[in-house]
Amino acid sequence: MKKLVIIPAYNESGSIVKAVDDIRKHAPGFDYVVINDCSTDSTLSICRKHKINHVNLSVNLGIGGAVQTGYIYACQNGYDIAVQFDGDGQHDAAYLEMMAQELVSSQSDMVIGSRFIEKEGFQSSGLRRVGIRYFSVLIKLMTGKVVTDPTSGMRMVNKDVIRLYAENYPKDYPEPESVVAILRMGKKVKEVPVVMKEREEGTSSIGGFKSVYYMIKVTLAIFMERLRG
Amino acid sequence: MMTVKLQVVIALAILVVFAILVNMIRKRSLELKYSLVWMMVLCALFIFACAPKLLIVVSDFLGIYAPVNMIFFLGFCFSLVIIFSLTVALSRLSNSIRTLDQIVALNEKKLSELEQELREAKEKLSED
Repeated sequence: MKKLVIIPAYNESGSIVKAVDDIRKHAPGFDYVVINDCSTDSTLSICRKHKINHVNLSVNLGIGGAVQTGYIYACQNGYDIAVQFDGDGQHDAAYLEMMAQELVSSQSDMVIGSRFIEKEGFQSSGLRRVGIRYFSVLIKLMTGKVVTDPTSGMRMVNKDVIRLYAENYPKDYPEPESVVAILRMGKKVKEVPVVMKEREEGTSSIGGFKSVYYMIKVTLAIFMERLRG
Repeated sequence: MMTVKLQVVIALAILVVFAILVNMIRKRSLELKYSLVWMMVLCALFIFACAPKLLIVVSDFLGIYAPVNMIFFLGFCFSLVIIFSLTVALSRLSNSIRTLDQIVALNEKKLSELEQELREAKEKLSED
């Protein structure tokens, strides 16, 4: 079974090597690919220097477009399982093997690493938690399914969903929307408890005025997903 | 009613804009496809500027008191349509750019992998 870790990277020069080492060491059964989303720092040259397997976008596409590139790569190279993994030190590669086992044994289409099942580790800041909770409720209303951590960036999917995401993936703030999309298609989504750390490098893409845009955009996107049927 | 002075000013302005438009198409800095709608607007405005009587007929028909108001109103509606069509074009473009960017990136990767393999094969050959 071929398994791929997709690491979207935008200006992650400080942490990308560590993330890749983490995967090599703690998830040896996985191949990985770094998607350099036209970083303005030295991410690309670091990838070249350390012989990191990478794909280099020449126009900045944002997280959605970068991750989708990873799914297309997975599709083209015949991977059975693909997982998203943040390169900023938040995620722990030690969970990947466990997630893959869960995906296969529970015959799910997606396994999400959730921070909020056992409520351990970095729980995100107060206001953000409220936002995440709100999306959970909204998804429950729209699909009838419980997703405790719809914004989690640690998501593993099977071949079916790889193909779906390669064809269609939201552009910005894609996580909640893309979960709803496959839930509406009748795919099975399972969550497993994981512990996440606070990011080591860089800042969240969400904050300030952007968070207002974020809430409105994702809410609308979820409604649109519902309209698409 | 429009004064003759206003009529002349508007007609001149339209002609100037039209000249600019044609010049830009000539230099290929404006796509003919996207300029057609602007040309139509200019033509309509020019007709109305030259024959304000026509304006009165149309505005009576639409139930608008002052013909000038109708120009503003129709102009505003036209602008909205043009802006909306631009948003549609922009969405389409950004999707195309995204797809192209992804294809280029993945092809680039395949190419460098092939080059690597070729280099290794050549080295092997020269060793043998």
